[in-house]
Amino acid sequence: MLIEVQDITKTYIMGDSEVHALRGVSLGVEHGEYVAVMGPSGSGKSTLMHLIGCLDRPSTGHYTLDGTPVEDLDDVALSALRNRKISFVFQSFNLISQLSVAENVEVPLIYRGTPREEREQLAAQKLASVGLAHRRNHRPNELSGGECQRVAIARALVSDPDIVLADEPTGNLDTKTGEEVMAILAELNDSGTTIVMVTHDIVKAKHAKRLVQMSDGKIDRQLVGEEKDRIINQFEAMTAVPAA
Amino acid sequence: MQQSEHLRIGVRSILAHKLRSLLTTLGIIFGVAAVVSMLSIADGARREAVEQIRLLGTNNIRINHVELTGDLKELADAKGSSGLTHSDGSVLMRNLPNLTGVAPLRFVDEPVLFGNREATGRVVGTTADYSRVTDFKAARGRFISPLDVREGKRVAVIGAAAKAELFGYRNPIGRKIRIGDAWFTVVGLMESKTIREARASVIQLRDINTDIYTPITAVNSRFPAPDRKGGVSEIAVQVSDANQVETTSGIVKRILTRAHNGIEDFEIVVPAELLAQAQSTQRVFNVVMGAIAGISLLVGGIGIMNIMLTTVTERTKEIGVRRALGATEDSIMRQFLVETVLISVAGGLAGIVVGAVMARAINVFAGWETVISMYSATIAFGISGLVGVLFGLYPARRAAQMDPITALRFE
Repeated sequence: MLIEVQDITKTYIMGDSEVHALRGVSLGVEHGEYVAVMGPSGSGKSTLMHLIGCLDRPSTGHYTLDGTPVEDLDDVALSALRNRKISFVFQSFNLISQLSVAENVEVPLIYRGTPREEREQLAAQKLASVGLAHRRNHRPNELSGGECQRVAIARALVSDPDIVLADEPTGNLDTKTGEEVMAILAELNDSGTTIVMVTHDIVKAKHAKRLVQMSDGKIDRQLVGEEKDRIINQFEAMTAVPAA
Repeated sequence: MQQSEHLRIGVRSILAHKLRSLLTTLGIIFGVAAVVSMLSIADGARREAVEQIRLLGTNNIRINHVELTGDLKELADAKGSSGLTHSDGSVLMRNLPNLTGVAPLRFVDEPVLFGNREATGRVVGTTADYSRVTDFKAARGRFISPLDVREGKRVAVIGAAAKAELFGYRNPIGRKIRIGDAWFTVVGLMESKTIREARASVIQLRDINTDIYTPITAVNSRFPAPDRKGGVSEIAVQVSDANQVETTSGIVKRILTRAHNGIEDFEIVVPAELLAQAQSTQRVFNVVMGAIAGISLLVGGIGIMNIMLTTVTERTKEIGVRRALGATEDSIMRQFLVETVLISVAGGLAGIVVGAVMARAINVFAGWETVISMYSATIAFGISGLVGVLFGLYPARRAAQMDPITALRFE
């Protein structure tokens, strides 16, 4: 088991009141899986994502990442874990505007201590694999949204992670570029990378092998195989715009 | 490894906001400039003082005659002391084996003329030893010889400025000048000594370049002082070892006090002690300038801290992204610290240049001697680095302790 979440809760203090973002979530993800986490806003899917991504620690419960218990790690160990095992793809791309495209892709390797030449080489390689080799010296603000997300994917892949965590990766993209990005993620999963994606759009989840539906800080149900495909197809048929 | 990346990012971030960075560094620039110019003025004053003291002779003691008045004068007359005399010199020479020379000087206020040109300097009657004791030599011709003194010859050795006044560009050697109502033959011309007017120090020197030296015996016979027979204005004493100057001056004082029957109608000047006095005057100036520099650096540091706090807020999202990609708190902290130190060190370097320019301007417009030393530049540079670290710590800590999730959500 790559990700093993056991009965996790997460409680925030917001002013005087407590916010229960997660109320006892258990989830296991195997190597090479593609899991889509769905649910309305406030359902706790982003919080779960942050916990899986080692950006946060659970209030109670256990989280084991690839055999390593995460709850008790200090900042240095947690940062190293993020750097080596996990990559993020964000809705708003989160590229660093002061850095060039190639330099953005290199950032994870800097914190790993990779020598400069090797860094540049790996970054160029990953940029080429997302079809952006010609844009390497541009600044993020000179790129389209789709291109930015492809740079972010290249940045996620450069560190050769075990898991890619995608948080609404197509939320800021138009349908066509969104589909391109989804295709890249599917391709990535085919080559063995574990993907956990948060989305509120069920259609985006069709490449996923498992669908996890959340509401109110809990997992409602998990769908796999034909059942999953059936529900997605139903939904797609309902919302499809009739061809003119 | 990461450090060079922090440097690269820092330089780029500073260049991305050129005007902001420049304004931020102004406080540091002026603070460091104040430090540099202060140290340069202090160094200049010290060098000036040292030079003047060298003119007096570092291993010299000067004994000046003091004209007593009123009751003290009556007391002195009663005790039979007539002030500093030629024989005091002989007494000192006999009693102190570590003296290598004693030269009495008698200043005479008589007009010195060559044709219709008049010299402004003083006539100084002295002995052949004077040249050696004060390390002041004849550039042309010769100084007064022991024979001149013994026979009371009417010869004169003139200073470089006195020569210019009397002779212009003509060769003075062998010519006759009139001192009072007597004729003296010029036999030598003294070397020219550079004398800066004392500005930042307490030492005041007469311009020895205008002096006209004659044998003391000739002066005494031509211009006698009936009430002070054998009296001199000053005695220059040379001690064999500069380290013994202070103790010797004490002994000189005791010997002379006894010789004068307890009357202190003389004063002892030790150039080395004057240096200490000059430095204590300088200290007041240093404290004032130091306070100015300190306040500038404090204000400059606060300015830098302020801007760095703004920068940290502006780059909240970047901090979140870097944390998500594996940056530790420590790494984020160092990134911002490096940037702050870069700004303040850049300000420090600029401040050294501004300080050097200020020192030069002070030199040109106020006429004070200023010296920019490697040492003061190093100190200024170190201070600017220190300010960067001190005032960078807080913003850098804030950046490091940001919650990555909150930072990522920041818009």
